[in-house]
Amino acid sequence: MQTVYYIILVPMVYVAFAVFFFGTTIKLVQMFRKPKNPSTLMIFPEKGAPWLRALYDTFLLPTVRRHNPTLWVFLMLFHISFLLLIIGHLELIEDFSAFQIIEHEIFLGKGFVGLILSVSLLYFFFRRLVTPNKELSVPEDYFLLMLLFLTVLFGSEMDWARSWYDYGEMSVDEYREYLSSLLYLRPALPESIVLSGHSFMLVLHVFFANLFLMFFPFSKIMHSFFSLPMNKLRRG
Amino acid sequence: MDQTMRNDLLKLFRSKLNQAMTLYLETCSRCGVCTRACHVYESMPQVKYIAAYRAEIVRRIYKKYFKGQGKIWSTLGESKELTEMALEELYEAAYSCTGCRRCMVFCPFGIDTQMIMSIAKLLLVGAHAEPEMLTLLADMSVTKGESLDIFKEGFLQGIKNLESEVVKKWKIEAGETAIPIDVEGADLLYVALAGAHSIIPAAAIFNAAGEHWTLSFFEAVNFGAFVGDPSKTKLILNRIINEANRLKVKEVCICECGTAFRVMKQLSGKQNFKVSSITQVHARYLKEGRIKVKKSETGETITYHDPCQMARNGGIMDEPRYVLSHLTDNFRDMTDDPRYNWCCGGGGGLVALGEDTLDFRMKSSKVKVDQVKKTGASILTTACENCHTQLSNLNDHYKMGVDVQFLSAMVANALV
Repeated sequence: MQTVYYIILVPMVYVAFAVFFFGTTIKLVQMFRKPKNPSTLMIFPEKGAPWLRALYDTFLLPTVRRHNPTLWVFLMLFHISFLLLIIGHLELIEDFSAFQIIEHEIFLGKGFVGLILSVSLLYFFFRRLVTPNKELSVPEDYFLLMLLFLTVLFGSEMDWARSWYDYGEMSVDEYREYLSSLLYLRPALPESIVLSGHSFMLVLHVFFANLFLMFFPFSKIMHSFFSLPMNKLRRG
Repeated sequence: MDQTMRNDLLKLFRSKLNQAMTLYLETCSRCGVCTRACHVYESMPQVKYIAAYRAEIVRRIYKKYFKGQGKIWSTLGESKELTEMALEELYEAAYSCTGCRRCMVFCPFGIDTQMIMSIAKLLLVGAHAEPEMLTLLADMSVTKGESLDIFKEGFLQGIKNLESEVVKKWKIEAGETAIPIDVEGADLLYVALAGAHSIIPAAAIFNAAGEHWTLSFFEAVNFGAFVGDPSKTKLILNRIINEANRLKVKEVCICECGTAFRVMKQLSGKQNFKVSSITQVHARYLKEGRIKVKKSETGETITYHDPCQMARNGGIMDEPRYVLSHLTDNFRDMTDDPRYNWCCGGGGGLVALGEDTLDFRMKSSKVKVDQVKKTGASILTTACENCHTQLSNLNDHYKMGVDVQFLSAMVANALV
């Protein structure tokens, strides 16, 4: 069992990040080397400052707000929480004074970030079971949502245990020891990380996260990079 | 379908994969926000008419042949082989889409379904499975460009016959030609459609404004664009560009035809002339006081249908409303935001296919009829030939009891 833990927590993480970084970079380079469309693809009227407007469209999703307000609320909650999650994980490697401008505990969000993400993902999943979204969806859509949900669920459970139930065996310092060891290419697994009662959560969390990262460049999640240039096309 | 044929079609597919197209094909998250954007879906709620579903029909083939994911794990994205049956699906998707791009206003990424449908149309052309009528019409236009001399005499005679009508209705000064043709050094080249209604009122207004203009030998409509054949689109477009350059005009004015305007404006590249729609030119004449019109005194309410290729896709939104403000005090808009105006249901070559598509066109445009009815207007005006035909068909079919008019004709009739 310890071997499986090791494979998931060390080599697989490296492989996942390699696939993610190289896959995404190659995809982006390929995309932006393709010839541009010879004519404009914008939707009129022309309103000026297309880059600013494209940023607005990309990050505030005004069209979704107008046509599906419920979805918009969940999308905004989801994406904001996702951003906080990335910050939270960076802080599990080491301190970043920039993030502490607004003072907070590590891991930030007191367990609610994970809760919001889980609920949003359930909403995204179940709305796909209703016509006509059911007919529009393909297995990739469900697969990604499940992958994310499992990742978030097991990750959050660790957070909830610490934030809400005073579970103390796996502390921030121990996560930092593990994650920074990975970052500085001297992988080490502290005992409390692999031998405590909640270790299985970490292993499952990392396992699903690895799968997600490896799938990222080949999936529709590339919209994280493509949304802005596409909205720019629409804004002219 | 044999392998050679499939390879040829995939080569055509690949030729369409520029940056924008690839972004559109890679990114859809199938969120369904576009569901109610399509007038066809809104009039006949079937999943196959949702923009994302239409696009997915093309996207599935893209995944199969151009995307790693589809090659390795094809069930994940439901990627699909290019077969005869796939072609049938492509046909249904492409020729039930009018290319109005209303869904693009809804999509959080701004995916252009019309552009994705252009792949479907090109594959159909490659497989000789496109509507033959459209190719026939496109070929005729191309031929006319190549051998103008054969058509010239007949055209000139036809125009002579029209001239008398212009002279009769709008008295013009002695010695003036009512419909000038082939005038080198003219300021404006007017590209009309084959039909008196597209030439006579326009001529009257140009003459009233004292415009130094000349009529093009060619008709504006681009059937190459309707059938989705890029090389024919270009050939048909080039006839007009060449004529404009030969006559050294400063401005090319496109008649009331949405597709012709958009193709000319957006695909002609950098030229020595500017491209305008006739509605823009009329608004300019009114603004500069070059023509005067009399407001209607009948008190009838007028509404205006925004042709998609003119408004949302071409930017002509304020000008028709400005023109109408000179024609009536009883204008009632269909929408508070022209970007959201419903398509008439006749674009993308559907009207050109006539009776064959009539039943579909009527059923799929119920939502437009409701929109017009809601204004309570008795005159429905528009600035596009296609829209005019479709709206007239709707008027008959649904007994809407409105009077469908061209905006240019209304201007011409109100000239003082």
